[in-house]
Parts: sequence; C-alpha cells; structure tokens
Amino acid sequence: MRSLRQQRYGDLLFNALNYTFFAVFMVLCLFPFYYLFINTISSNDLSSRGLVTFYPKVIHFTNYIEVLQVKGLSQAALISVGRTVIGTLLTVIASAFLGFLFTKQKMWGRRFWYRFVIITMYFNAGIIPWYIIMMNLNLTNNFLAYILPFIVSPFYVILVKTFVESIPEVLQESAEMDGAGYLTVFSRIIFPLITPIAATIAIFAAVSQWNSFVDTLFLMTDSKYYTLQFVLYKYLNESTSLAAIIRNSQGSGGTIDLTNMQTATSVRTTVSMIVVLPILFVYPFFQRYFVKGIMIGAVKG
Amino acid sequence: MLSIRKSLVVLLALVLVVSTAACTSSNNNNKTKNPDSGTATSKPTEGTKDPEPEVKEEITLDVFSMLSNFSGEQTGWFAKVIKDKFNIKLNIIASNLEGGGDTKFATMMASGDLGDLVVFGDDGEKYLTAIEAGMLVDWTKDGLLDNKGKNILKYAPKAIEKNKANFGKGSSVYGIGFDVGDDKPGPSEAKDLTYHPNLRWDLYEKLGRPAIKTMEDYLPVLKQMQELEPKSATGRPTYAFSMWADWDGNMMVAAKAWAGLHGFDEGDGFNPGGFSLVSGDKEEIQGVLDEDGYYLRGLKLYYDANQMGLVDPDSITQKFDDVVNKMKDGQLLFTWFPWLDDTYNTAEHLAEGKGFALVPFDEERTFSYGYDPYGGQRVWAIGSKAKHPDRVLELVDWLYSPEGMMISTNGPEGLTWELKDGKPVLTDFGVQALPANDSPVAAEFGGGSYKDGMNQLNNTSFKNTNINPDNGDPYDYNLWNSVLEKSPSKLEQSWRDAMGGALTAKEYLEKNNKLSVLKMIFTGTPPEIRSPELEQKRGQVADVIKQYSWKMVFAKNEAEFTKLRGEMIDKAKGLGYDEVLAFGIEQNKKVFEYRKK
Amino acid sequence: MKTVIRPQSSLSRSSGSYIPDRYRLFLFALPFLALILVFSYFPLYGWLYAFYNYRPGFSLFDTQFVGLQWFRSIVSNPTQTQEVLRVMRNTLAISGLGIITSVCPVIFAILLTEIKTTWYKKTVQIFTTLPNFISWVLVYAIAFMMFSVDNGVVNKVMIGLGLQDGGVNYLASSDFIWIKMTLWALWKGLGWGAIMYIAAIASIDQELYDAAKVDGANRFRMIWHITVPGILPTYFVLLLLSIANLINNGMEQYFVFQNALNRDTIEVLDLYVYNTGLLGFNFSFATAVSMLKSIISIVLLFFANRLSKLVRGESII
Repeated sequence: MRSLRQQRYGDLLFNALNYTFFAVFMVLCLFPFYYLFINTISSNDLSSRGLVTFYPKVIHFTNYIEVLQVKGLSQAALISVGRTVIGTLLTVIASAFLGFLFTKQKMWGRRFWYRFVIITMYFNAGIIPWYIIMMNLNLTNNFLAYILPFIVSPFYVILVKTFVESIPEVLQESAEMDGAGYLTVFSRIIFPLITPIAATIAIFAAVSQWNSFVDTLFLMTDSKYYTLQFVLYKYLNESTSLAAIIRNSQGSGGTIDLTNMQTATSVRTTVSMIVVLPILFVYPFFQRYFVKGIMIGAVKG
Repeated sequence: MLSIRKSLVVLLALVLVVSTAACTSSNNNNKTKNPDSGTATSKPTEGTKDPEPEVKEEITLDVFSMLSNFSGEQTGWFAKVIKDKFNIKLNIIASNLEGGGDTKFATMMASGDLGDLVVFGDDGEKYLTAIEAGMLVDWTKDGLLDNKGKNILKYAPKAIEKNKANFGKGSSVYGIGFDVGDDKPGPSEAKDLTYHPNLRWDLYEKLGRPAIKTMEDYLPVLKQMQELEPKSATGRPTYAFSMWADWDGNMMVAAKAWAGLHGFDEGDGFNPGGFSLVSGDKEEIQGVLDEDGYYLRGLKLYYDANQMGLVDPDSITQKFDDVVNKMKDGQLLFTWFPWLDDTYNTAEHLAEGKGFALVPFDEERTFSYGYDPYGGQRVWAIGSKAKHPDRVLELVDWLYSPEGMMISTNGPEGLTWELKDGKPVLTDFGVQALPANDSPVAAEFGGGSYKDGMNQLNNTSFKNTNINPDNGDPYDYNLWNSVLEKSPSKLEQSWRDAMGGALTAKEYLEKNNKLSVLKMIFTGTPPEIRSPELEQKRGQVADVIKQYSWKMVFAKNEAEFTKLRGEMIDKAKGLGYDEVLAFGIEQNKKVFEYRKK
Repeated sequence: MKTVIRPQSSLSRSSGSYIPDRYRLFLFALPFLALILVFSYFPLYGWLYAFYNYRPGFSLFDTQFVGLQWFRSIVSNPTQTQEVLRVMRNTLAISGLGIITSVCPVIFAILLTEIKTTWYKKTVQIFTTLPNFISWVLVYAIAFMMFSVDNGVVNKVMIGLGLQDGGVNYLASSDFIWIKMTLWALWKGLGWGAIMYIAAIASIDQELYDAAKVDGANRFRMIWHITVPGILPTYFVLLLLSIANLINNGMEQYFVFQNALNRDTIEVLDLYVYNTGLLGFNFSFATAVSMLKSIISIVLLFFANRLSKLVRGESII
C-alpha cells in the first residue's frame, strides 16, 4: 500500500517536473521566433533601433508586402513545391525500400553494398567535379537535377534499416511462407509498420529540399528553374555582396550609395518567416504518424 | 498498397530512362555545340558585308556578372531601352552569393562556357586565366571591334590600347576596363572621397571648432563632444568609434582608414592588395606592421580612445548592419566613410542643422583616385561561346557612348531628365525617383518601379564625373549645375561658411592641397599574380593580423598592448609575412617606375 | 533494361522464379546503387586535383603535377604546425562535447512520450523544432540583441541586480566558449534531433507495455526496460555516425560567433580553412583538405564499428 502511494507521489512529481521542463524549453524556443516575428510587423525604424522587444509597436505589413512582391516569386514557389513534393516522395520510397533490402541477409554482397552506400556520406570531392558530372548528365537547367541526386540518401537508408531490424522477423517470415514476394512483403507488411520513420524521413527530406539553394546557384542559369529560397536569398544578399566587392576590389575607387544597398534587418527576418511558415503548417500533418503504440499485434492478427 | 507498387515501378523506370537519356544527351550536346561555334565565327564577316539595317531577331544574352547583386531577367525601363534599341534581352547570372563568387566562376570555367557577356570584378587572376584558357572572344578577330566598336574606339581608345598591351600580347583585345576617365589630372571622385573624417558638425561647432593638427588630436575633441551629447535620441550612450570586423580583408579596415587619410592605400591601384600600404602620389611604401607606420599608429589611437571610453565596446562583436543602425540612431560622433553617415544626414536632421560633415586635420592628405583614361580594373568581356559576339559588342559599344552612359546612370531622357538650353536638368519625376527610389514608371518607359528597372549589370563604362561631350556637364546628376545650385540645407550652409565657401568636401580638400591623387599608369603588362603558396601564406598572415589588431585595441593596459603587438609581429613573420610583403613591394616599385613616365 | 524488368515479372509470379533470391535482392537494389555510383562515386575523380596545381578551365593534365605538396603544406613550418594543433584541439573538444550531449535528444524524446496530454505533446513537439529553422546569422542577431553591452537585456539585468559594475561584452569573451557553443547548438537542434527517437519509440510494440503493467512495473521501470532498449539501436547507429564526423563540425555557427578575442578557442577546422582564405582560390589545396577529411572520417567509422563489435558484440554497419 505504502509503496503504491509513494509511487503515485513520485509519478505526480515527475509529471509536474516534466510538464514544467517542456513549458520552459518551449518558451526558450518560441521567444526568439516570436521576437523576430513582432519585429517584422513593427515599424522598421523602431525595430532597427532595437526598441521592439516584447510586443509589436506601430503594426504594419509592408515588409511582407515588399517581400511578396519580389519578382518571379510565384514561379519560384511552384518549383520549390514541386521539388519538395516529388523529391520527398521518391526519397521516402527509395530509402525505405533500399533500407528494407539491406536487412535481407540473403542479399548478394549485402555487407559490401551497404558500406558502399554508407561511406558516401563522408565523401566530398568538391564542387567542380560534381558540376562537371551534373553537366555531362545534362542536369543543368533541368528540373530533374533537384530530384535524382537526392533519391538515395545514405542517412535515411540507415535509419530505415535500423528500424526494420527492430521489428520482429516473424511477421515477414509468415508472409513469405504464404508465398508473398519481396515487393509484397515490403508494401503490405513493412511499409505500414515503418510509418513513424517514414514520416521522419519525409519531414527531413522535405525540409532539406525546401531549404536548399546551392544547387540552384550552380546548376540553373535559366530563371524559370529558380527556387523560392534562391530568389529570396538573392534578394536579401545585397549588403553582404557589397562588402565582398569592397574587400575584393581595391583601386576601383568610387563611393558607395548606402541607401541603395541597405537591406533592412526586418526585411531579412521577414524572408525567414515566409520561408519557415509553410514548414510549420505541414509538420502537424505528419505528426499523427508519431503516435505511440502502432499495434504490431494488430498487424499480426 | 497498389499505389505504392505502382509508384515503385514508375520510379525504377524513371531511373533507367534518365540514366540512358543522360548517356545519349551528352552526345547530343556535342553535336549541337559544333554548328553553333561555326556560325558564331562566320556571322560577323557576313555582317560586315551587309551594313544595311535589318530587323534583328530577338536574342537573350546570358550576362555572367561577378559584380551584380541581381540574378534573373533585367526588367523595367532599362530592359525596354535595350529591347527597343537592340532587340536584346538580358539574363543576368550573378555569382555573388555569399562566398560563392569564385566557386561559381570556377565551375563555369570548368564547363568551358562563361556566357555571352562577362563582367569581371577585377583584371587579376580570373581574367588572365579566362584569356589563357580561351574562354573570351578576341575583339580584333574578323574586324569585330572596327565594325561594331566605333564609340569605344572614339571615346576610350587608351582603354583598348591598355588591354591590347597588358592582356592581348600587343595584338588582341579581350575586354575593356570600367570607369574610363577623361584624360586630365586631379581627383576623379564626385562630392565626397572614399575616406575622410566626418564628425558631428553641430557638436564640433558648439565647441568652437578647435584646431586639429594630427590624427591623435581628434581624441580630446571627440571626448568633449561625447560629454556634450552623452546620449542618443533613444537614450543610448554615444561613442566616437563604432567599428565592425566583418569587412576586414588583409587587415582591420578601421585602422587602415588612417593610412587612407594620410594618402596611403592598400595596393597601388594596379596590383592586388597585400600587406603594403602605398602612397598615392609619392614614392613611399609602408608595411602594415612597420613600427612607425600608419596602421600601427591607428591601432594605438584606438587603444587610447578605448581607454578614454570613446570606443563602442560592441565593436568587436557587432556586424556592419548594427553600426548602420547605431548611426541612424545618433550613437556615433565620427566616421571615416562619408557614405556611412547618409542614414543620419536625413533631410530633417540637415534642416535642424544636425549632421555629419568633413572636419579635416592639418596633416591630412586624403587618398584619391585620379582619372584613368586606361580604364579601371573591372572588365567587360565577351564569352567565346557567345552565338552573337557582334551583337554583344554592339551593346557594350553603346554603353561606351555618351548616350548609353547617360541613360544607364541617370535613366532615359524624358523620364528622369531632359535638356534645357542644351544643359541637363532633372524632371519632377527624376527628383523623386533618383538615385534609386520605388517611384512607379509609366508603361511607355517600361513600367515597374524606377529602382527595379535600373541597370542591374552593376558595372560602368565611363567615370561618372567625366564631362559629357554632348552637353558639357558631368554624367553624374549630382554634379549638374542645375542640381548644385539648389538651395543648401542649414547644415550645408554652416559648413560652407566655415570652410571658406567650398561647395563640397572634395572641392575643399582639392583647394587646400589635402589630396594625394593616385596617378593611373600604363604598364603594358598584366599585374603579377601571387603563386598559390604565397597566396596561402597571405591568407594565414592576414588572419593573424586581423585577430591581434582587435585584441590590441581592447588591451587592458599599455603593457598588454605592447606585448600583443610583439606577438602579432612574431607570429605574422613566422607565417611568411616578410615574403608576402617583399613580393608586394617589388610590384609596387615597378608601378613607381611607370608613374614617372 | 531487361535485368530490371525481370525481377518485377518474377515478383508477380512470387516464389519459384529461376533467379536465386540473393541475386534477385541485389537486382532490386541495383538501380539505387547505380544512382549512388553516379552521383557520389563519379565525382571522386576530382581527388586527382589534390596532386596538381589545378586551374579550372584547363585540362587537368595540362596543369603542373605537384605530388604531395598540398598535403605537406598543411604542416610546412613550426608556426603553422602549432596553428593546426590548436585548431584540432578546438575541433575535437567541440565534437567531443557534441557527442556527449547527443544523449540529450534521447532523453528529450523519452520525456516527451511520457506526457499524456496529446495537445500539449503536439504543441511542444512543433514549437521546439522552431530554432532549427532560424539561420545562424539570425541566431547571432538575436544573441547580439540580448548580450550587447549597452542595450542588451542581460547586461541591464545584471547591473540592475548589482552583480556587475558596468557592461560586459559577453559575446567577446572566450571563457567556456566550447561549452557555450555546445549549448547554442543544443538549443537549436534538440527538438529537431528528437524527432528520430520519437519515431523509434512510436514503433515499440504496445503489448510490451501492457504486459509490463500487468506485472506491476512502474513508469521508470517501463522506461528503463522497454523504451530505452527500444531506441538504443537507433542511438548507437547515430552515435557511430557522429564519431565518424569528429573532424567535421561545419562552420556556419562558429563563423558568426567568432571574433578576435575568442578566435583562438572557437576556430574549428572547417572555419580555419575558410578564414585563411584558402578555399576560394586554391582548388587543389581545398581538395587535399577534403580528401584527408574523407579518409579520416571513414577510418573513424570503421574504427567505431569495430569498437561496437567488441563492446556490444554486434557491428553496426
């Protein structure tokens, strides 16, 4: 009896601490974001002087309007959404399938091929050879350049493989007994079981697709392939590139027109907001796959 | 589940199709490229045979610019001008993405195609390599320059001569430098120079304009000014020196500025900068780490200033943007860069008589660039894979005509400016839109906002203080008589009264012999490039110098300052400072020889 | 073409095809392995650049062969060797702290799944990933806002409480910089890093918990005996990967936080290479550095794998 009561107190205390911990950490995470947000909708003059700290002052939306008027934004958004959706879908399926294959002891040269894939995570041959290869594959000014290189990602393959290995093998074996092929086993049995990790990969892949702009910089010269990130990044890059010009070109003389180059911090922040918000809206959609307790028993039965 | 299987099948098929397509397409590539290059070379000769004006097909030029902040298609009024005149559209590819510049260039070099029109940030290694690797069109081939470059030959003959001698082995021309100046002595700047000491003029006047002899004399004056106005508009403390580290290259920019105020600058205007500070008009060279040099003297000045509470303690951690905001808020009393105080010198402040203006010191000899008829270091060139090199050159040639220069700097005639009695004056729209405002442009001029429609190539043809031969006024609208005669603000008036009636800072400095004007030279050889090993050393030494410079400014006491200075010199020398400096000085001395000619 | 179509048709006929299972499995994987070969292995020919004075625009063999010069130049003189040693010390220290704190996302995930209020759990999960999306540049802007000498909240509070006499430039200080950097990274990555573990926990068979409950196990026992073993494999794999990444800590974070006063202790390898301006112009040297890094990483990977075999009795890769 006593130990039960103690246990209940312990539970209570644990819960209290646990809820408080997350509340505090959540504030720590949320505040900077909130701070950035209120600065984007406050008077730019006040925010640049650092006078906006806890609540917005002189609310306006011109920053958002200005950023949303950047030329080519809608086309860029289309490309970004396209590469994110298609790229993520293919990455999830391919990583899941390959990860699944690597759990099969029977596979010819399994260990070798697995390592063949894994160690590429640590390769970096530099940008020039990469560019030459992409060019020879005709992947410059080509939408497929956003998709093909990302289909197989070693990291996700590892995640899936580890995950599949933690699922009791009985399930697969019984299916194989029933005469199911590997594809059937994968699509009917494995894939439903690995939805949590598939959802994780989907989130990771989607975010990295959404955020990437280096490939656009190097591979795309035609503006119809520009991504949202790239367009926005170019837009707010003006002051940094100006600094680079000053540093690099001695002897060029001339003075600088500050009014012409200055990108307000608030505009820069607005860009971050515009880029992050879609991610925030999509995330909850994946969350349902994280709910604890996918019943393996249920699948068995 | 069926859908998953389906998509898998599709996926596998896709992978196969693409990998086969990739193999075949690389062949196609070669096939299509060959005929192109064939027509490219044959076309100009056809053009010369047939001078009749034909309706040209619309083409889009890929402009690879190492200077542009913009990437994508040029729009607005400038696009309309180019389209109407040449039936050309400009697709700008900028390489300036946070350190991506050199890498982007390298990948394009590796691919063998630099686009149609190429803008080089300087005429150093990249330009030389591109020539050597055959990536640029020789303008003398097939009479290209003679036929399509009439304006260039007329208005910038020396720039062509320089390119021929320096980069084309005396016969070929691969490009033309920017900012080609009139052939005359004197400073080439507009109203202000790159460096001069601007102080809060209103406070300086309140103190009765104390005399300032040496650079160190600013400190007591600034201290008094700080006591006079200890807080900014929003109640933040004021400082004389608020610095930032994110622009430092080979050394601390704020310390180098004092060398600039004594007529020395990093590099000689011809060779790339290093650790030598070179006088603009005398045969003097200082090493950055010279015991009695201006750089170390500048560091000592900041150390003393810090002891006096004149240095913003955030200097070491803040970025350039933060300084701009502090300037705007009125937390600064001093700046080395006249353009930095634009954010404080607003119309309201100026009307109140508050604002920054030049306060010179007796020993001041500000570094200034002379007119350079040979053209500056940024280069216009044409990529060897260009399909229509003749039309690219036509465009460049137009930029080097008075008409093209006038339009690309000030906007189209009739929109922002017009001629009255043969002299240019701003229209009402021009007053509103210039230099770069969001004023809406009428559809007949191309629509959009004025700012968005501006010339995004970010490179010039002539120096904007050159005299336009068509009307006798400089190209820069700020220097038109019609604009200069505008009524001055309260601050400007009070400054002009105190400075003996000089209208601009440049005028004052020029009249009082406080300029060290860099004479531009003609060498007949390209600048010498540091070897990769030497370049590696330069990078490491620069890193040490920058780090220790900042530490010295914030040293706790004199002893620590001296100790850090010793460490800096030891470490820099250990990493090869002397070798890099010696190489620099050797090049600088060659330049001195040319200056005499 | 044929090779790929065949396994598919054999699949529909399920078992009993003439291709043995082991090859069939391999053929399934083949297209993906081909992608890896093309996009990851083909570019490796670029490692040759490390042995030449490579200049873009010229064929490699038209440029000068320099052998191991670039590799040797890393430690060419005593001052430089000292610099490299200093940088390696920072790199290893920060990576080491990163490895130690890699257990934090695990704890975070476990604690989060112990929260039974669904809306609260979901909210926490979303909001704690937010810092991951703020770029380091903006993180620094926020940090500067909080810690700046005259305007920062922290200094105002400290002076107000009488804990310090005047403003202190916290960001310039080099004290505990390794730990401070680790904490910033942790703040930014904790919620995001926990996602994988939350997924791993989600896959644990609910029946195990039910059975444990019947046996009267309390919450902590269930965590220790069911949850922890359930996510341990994922944790070990990720740990192994991070050990291999010992010398790759990236540079963005350290780049924005660096200044003259903390440079000595904040400069990690990637940042050092950037600061000295070597990569921009010198592709051969850059290649030599990244080649060395790749090789060290792979050696570390197999070393850690061997270690895991010794300690846990199973290898991970």
